[in-house]
Amino acid sequence: MSVAAPPALSTAAERIRARLAQPPLKGKSAVVDADLPTIEADPASWPDLARRLRDDPELAYDLFLDLAGVDNLERPNSKSRFEAVCHLHSLSRNEHVRVRIRLPDASAPSLPSVCDVYPAANWFEREAYDLFGFDFPGHPNLHRLLCHDAFVGHALRKDYAAGQRWFYTENEMRTPEWARETGERAGHFETQTLSIGPAHPATHGIIHLMARLDGERIVRAETMIGYLHRCFEKMAEKHHWNQVIPYTDRLNYVSAMVNGVGYVRTVEKMLGVEVPERGQLVRTILSEFTRIMDHCVCIGANLVDIGALTNFVYLYQNRENIYSLIEACCGARLTVSYVRVGGLAIDVPPDFVARCQGLLDSIPKFLDDVEKLVTNNRIVRNRLQGTGIVTKEQAIAWGMTGPMLRASGVPYDVRRSRPYDFYDRFDWEIPVASDGDNFARYLVRMEEMRQSLKIIRQALDIFPSEGRVSSDDWRVVLPPKDAVYHDMESLIYHFKLVMEGIRVPSGERYEWIEGANGELGFYAISDGRGGPYRLKVRPPCFPNMAAFEKIVVGGTVADAIATLGTLNVIAGELDR
Amino acid sequence: MSGVIDVSRRAPERLTLLQRLYIPEILRGMAVTVRHLLRNVTHLRNLPTILYPEQKRDYSKRFRGKHILKTRQDGTLKCVACYMCEQACPAECITIVAGEHPTIAYEKYPVVFDIDMLRCVFCGFCVDACPKDAIWMTRNYELAFFNRREAVFGIDKLIEKPGESVKDGYGYRPYYPGDGTHPPRDASAALVVPGDGERQLLRTQGELLPDRSPGAGPLNAPSQAEKAV
Repeated sequence: MSVAAPPALSTAAERIRARLAQPPLKGKSAVVDADLPTIEADPASWPDLARRLRDDPELAYDLFLDLAGVDNLERPNSKSRFEAVCHLHSLSRNEHVRVRIRLPDASAPSLPSVCDVYPAANWFEREAYDLFGFDFPGHPNLHRLLCHDAFVGHALRKDYAAGQRWFYTENEMRTPEWARETGERAGHFETQTLSIGPAHPATHGIIHLMARLDGERIVRAETMIGYLHRCFEKMAEKHHWNQVIPYTDRLNYVSAMVNGVGYVRTVEKMLGVEVPERGQLVRTILSEFTRIMDHCVCIGANLVDIGALTNFVYLYQNRENIYSLIEACCGARLTVSYVRVGGLAIDVPPDFVARCQGLLDSIPKFLDDVEKLVTNNRIVRNRLQGTGIVTKEQAIAWGMTGPMLRASGVPYDVRRSRPYDFYDRFDWEIPVASDGDNFARYLVRMEEMRQSLKIIRQALDIFPSEGRVSSDDWRVVLPPKDAVYHDMESLIYHFKLVMEGIRVPSGERYEWIEGANGELGFYAISDGRGGPYRLKVRPPCFPNMAAFEKIVVGGTVADAIATLGTLNVIAGELDR
Repeated sequence: MSGVIDVSRRAPERLTLLQRLYIPEILRGMAVTVRHLLRNVTHLRNLPTILYPEQKRDYSKRFRGKHILKTRQDGTLKCVACYMCEQACPAECITIVAGEHPTIAYEKYPVVFDIDMLRCVFCGFCVDACPKDAIWMTRNYELAFFNRREAVFGIDKLIEKPGESVKDGYGYRPYYPGDGTHPPRDASAALVVPGDGERQLLRTQGELLPDRSPGAGPLNAPSQAEKAV
């Protein structure tokens, strides 16, 4: 079982090789084919390479997706201890590329910051600084991001023992340099610093915003996150491939199903396991329902923040009904743990299709009611229209994906750009808006819910009434219980899977799907053991939140609250 | 571009005078909310909200709540302390100490079987991992404790008591009668080969049992070499 590279990739890799063979980058990088075209470079040439990758019209990798640190301490035959692995996307060419930068100095790993090329890299570099101890010369604000300031060591290094505790007191809390100044100006009010959060009703989760106010206007802001950090990635390294699934539920806990699907798809691709059609369709249907739920929560909570309470109740009624369906399938409402590598934990109940049909009938009524109450309401319009504007160029530079990017006029949706499961068979449309303000995001999300319903309707039409939901490869999926109880061979497969985990062949894979907030990517490295050697999740709301402190500047505090709602930041995913 | 719709054209950029006057929009909104109110008043049995402690939500039979340890007909645990649920648990909340049963021939049984309910994430992996159909989940989700020690449930709190009905009914389990999954034959009904304690007991009752030389293997089965001789 090896991971076969699709043939289309080699032409892309060939083109990249040809473009990078020209001076001044000649001989400074190598291009190889893996699951994605992979460029290998050394730290010194990384900023030039990044600029070239972004600006060359033949390459045009304009979306910075992810930066993952890798510690090769326990991987023999690796060329250097530390690596930084970046994933980029080209919106015009619709291609992903991986850039691997090997850091030769194991004692002081360092690579130049590319914040000026890709502003989206800002928080990703801070994260790598925090969790791996990489130094990024040229970074404007290199502080710890996810761990607190009294943390000692770097949690994702392989020689850091999990389970250590570092206590944090109020005195050790870092206040940004600019927030400590008094900021008095002649002939003007004294500006003041306002600390919003960490626990504020409008932050929906624990997020800390420091803002410098000039009257009511925000002139400078900085977001501090990490209050819900539990180092999902370190825990994933300590568990088997299947045992990570309950942890993925807690990433974006509002759309838990999508996370699980994204994660197991990565592992399935590494294994080369095929999920039966019925299993794929169940995943699709429940993922789309989950997306509706996520948008319901986002819009409902956002409208509560700006004072429209009724919609919250109507939208949450949808959520409640969808939760009932999910609970009937897997036994839990929020933390579903329904998917397994190779399929699903258990087949759907016999009345699954009928229940889905019932939901398809009830959800649009609530959406219509909300539209009647909100869309042409003057107060809502005043609060949302023209606030929190993100232009198309900004959205791309800040690495936004999902509804944020689509509300700024870029029709990028993974379900369309790289259709997985059955999305290429369905007839649906990508909603985009051109304004890029809060109201545009509201409209995009409302329409996306209707498109999701359309997808579910078509999925139910081709839903097979019988069949397996999981693969029958017993090296991956637990054998049926009857066989386990009475058949020795099945019991052995069962025992090996439970005690040792799934043996995933050595290699790496980046697999991405459309989460409710945007591109949800999982970058997994296996060294052939029963669990991941390294698992990096690319959380879609992370770049959105990184841009928050730039979006709110110039607006009022009230606008910032409305903007925070439309960003749809889920702290579980943001802080991991 | 095909497959893309521009939703910013959906809503008019500027509101009409009537909409800006606000009062007509209030009335339109009131019509929606009053319709919901009237429907709720006339459908009191079908309210979306429930009065929780008195009235409980009806969960499916797959609900993952508090665990239950299944027993054989004689009231002993089906669990053979194989440690598979302990290993499968992502939250590491199960603690098992295995012991040799003093009288019955089962090779092992759990002397201690603790589940720390504060650590448990109710993922159901222990139920999936069990090769003996020994652990199920129930629909009981009302687990409140006064202190952390109380949250560690031992065998006495987890065991299914014969004659007592299970609180809130069974939840997540390997199979469900009537929904297409076939209940397997009872995993504990397999023939038990008498071991040391039981062998002695049966002899005193006058049963005739063949003598075996203590060779290798769990049940002192004659080795291949012995057979050859």
